[in-house]
Amino acid sequence: MNSMIYKKKSPLLLFLVPAFLFLIVYLYYPFFQNIVNTVMKIGGLGRAAEGMNEPWYENYQRLFTDPYMRVALKNTMILILCTVLFQVGIALILALLVDTIRVGAQFFRTVYFFPIVISATALGLMFNLIFLYKGGMVNQLLLSLGKLPYEIKPSGKMIVQWLDWKDQAHFLFTMFLPVMWQYVGFYFVILVTGLNNISPELYEAAALDGADGWKRTRFITLPLLRNVLCTCLVLAITGALKVFDLPWVMFGAGMPENRGWLTGTYMYDQTFNKMNVDYGSTIAVLIVVLGVVLSNVANRIFRPSEDI
Amino acid sequence: MKKALALLLVLVMVLSFGSIAAFADGVTLNVVTSYGGDDGNRGNFEAAVKAYEEATGNKVNDGSATSNEEWKAKVLTDFETGSEPDVLFYFTNADAEPFISAGKVVSIEEIRAEYPDYATNMKSSMMAVAADGKQYSVPSSGYWENMFVNKAVLADCGVEVPGPDYTWDQFLADCETIKEAGYTPIACSLVEVPHYWFEFMVMNNGTVANHLELPQSPDDEVAAKWAAGLNDIKALYEAGYFPANTLTASDAETVELFNAGEAAFLIDGSWKVGYFTANAADLNDFAISYVPGKGDRSASEAIGGISMGYFITRKAWDDPAKREAAVEFVSQLTSDEVLSTFVTTEVTALVNGASPAGLNPLQQSAADANANITAIVGAVQDSLSAEARGDLFANVQNVVTGKMSAEDAVASALALN
Repeated sequence: MNSMIYKKKSPLLLFLVPAFLFLIVYLYYPFFQNIVNTVMKIGGLGRAAEGMNEPWYENYQRLFTDPYMRVALKNTMILILCTVLFQVGIALILALLVDTIRVGAQFFRTVYFFPIVISATALGLMFNLIFLYKGGMVNQLLLSLGKLPYEIKPSGKMIVQWLDWKDQAHFLFTMFLPVMWQYVGFYFVILVTGLNNISPELYEAAALDGADGWKRTRFITLPLLRNVLCTCLVLAITGALKVFDLPWVMFGAGMPENRGWLTGTYMYDQTFNKMNVDYGSTIAVLIVVLGVVLSNVANRIFRPSEDI
Repeated sequence: MKKALALLLVLVMVLSFGSIAAFADGVTLNVVTSYGGDDGNRGNFEAAVKAYEEATGNKVNDGSATSNEEWKAKVLTDFETGSEPDVLFYFTNADAEPFISAGKVVSIEEIRAEYPDYATNMKSSMMAVAADGKQYSVPSSGYWENMFVNKAVLADCGVEVPGPDYTWDQFLADCETIKEAGYTPIACSLVEVPHYWFEFMVMNNGTVANHLELPQSPDDEVAAKWAAGLNDIKALYEAGYFPANTLTASDAETVELFNAGEAAFLIDGSWKVGYFTANAADLNDFAISYVPGKGDRSASEAIGGISMGYFITRKAWDDPAKREAAVEFVSQLTSDEVLSTFVTTEVTALVNGASPAGLNPLQQSAADANANITAIVGAVQDSLSAEARGDLFANVQNVVTGKMSAEDAVASALALN
């Protein structure tokens, strides 16, 4: 019976074709249409194109000369770096720690994963309150610790120099912290699953050979976790390129002073607010190209080992 | 056992059909308005919708939101992608032209052919006329924009509440006094809502009579007037009269600064009266005053008019099930009785006029200020395309920080208009 299933492949097609058609209609066709849109002149979503751009590659030229696009790319690259270092890094440390404890592991898994299930909009509003200029949680804390300068006027009025967490000196920290915080749990769960797949016998054998905790992590856990880590890195890089909702809720259109753009927020602003659909499409193409290139680079650097 | 189970299933099916039939009795209308968020008339709108639902048995899917450039863009996008609502409460100026010219809304004339009494309680002369010469929207209440003042802050600083003869020089001196006393003179988020100040500063560099003129080129007199207005905002920014975080704060944050007694002046519209009525600790601390006049403009000249109205979309009109429900909804929301609950001091197009109930101290203050208004004119920004307006206001932060000249900001917007 089993051999019949493997010999007759046609039923498999029956199940694969609908999903394939779905992807063609809702992913590949829009994607190629989006590429066509980059050379057209389109003044609003749903509006017909008013002919081709003059020259047709005008939007691609603009990508290289647009100062806000440079800002968006720079910020996105920093975000990718932070994502790899902090999101995956912290997730790895937490996963290693949770893997070593016997009691409460499930509790910590739930706790660290929890931010993922909260909507990014709600998180954005929450962090807006945390970093609020006047009376925000962080600023109140700093004031109570005496870290914010203040002045008492002759009238007795207290003038506090609140810290603006969204100004040019602090906005990257304020923007990236919630993003890091939200997704640590996602990579944590993937890494914990990877850790669970490592046979305990390997650790027992290493312990008998006299290997301490650090050596077991260095020579058994990390090498065997390499494939999972590689997957996490690719997900983190492509995910960072698409980050939109949380920064948009907190910073809107490029705050502060057009220095806060990300590729995702800039694409949205051009398409939906500025009605510059063709240029927004061009940015979308760039995001896809960057995603493919960067994930390939990550794959080559952290190439999954076939020995594992 | 099997029989009992079968009976139970049949019962569930019958009840299900019953409930579907119950839903089928009424029509569900998709309605989008700007009565969302902290709009002062949110409560009145909800009450009016509830009354409509109870009277007709219809349901209303309320997709209302706060009006801003993003909301306007979303409404236009909905029309372009075929997901427009059945009834829309929206701006009646150039903002509405894209969906009017696309034939996506129904004219009053066409509606009256079937419902002769539709909007007959409105003065025809005050109903907006589209570029094709037809009327499409039933006007709701009008609006005014003027200066809100925090009297408690002014008193603490020894500054008098400005009168209708308030001058620009007096204003600058008052701002300096207020700043010295440790308060923020002007509550405004220049990154989110610079348009109130833009409108009055442009008028301060021109007159009421020529306020609605649009620049024809970046070098003409009107463009110079607009640039001068932007430079006036820059001067206030450089003097430190706006909140320290005006380039990163939201409108809600700066309004709260004013409400909490930390700022003295706020230019806003009639819709904000409702916000303070609901949120102010003591309404007697606030008053409606006058935006300081400069040059040929007197402080008693303000911005105002009727800028929004109810549209019935072609999609709802062509749906036999929704046509009557939509007409009934607009008729009820714009009836003399319901509109009177939305109005305190604003103008209306009602033939019989509105009859608002007892005014609170802030509403009374607005009524007193309006009594001294010598001229009122619409907002010139309403004549700009959404793209041009968005560009102009996004560049205000670049102008005040010196990254762009005011002249270049005006030229950039005109290139998109």
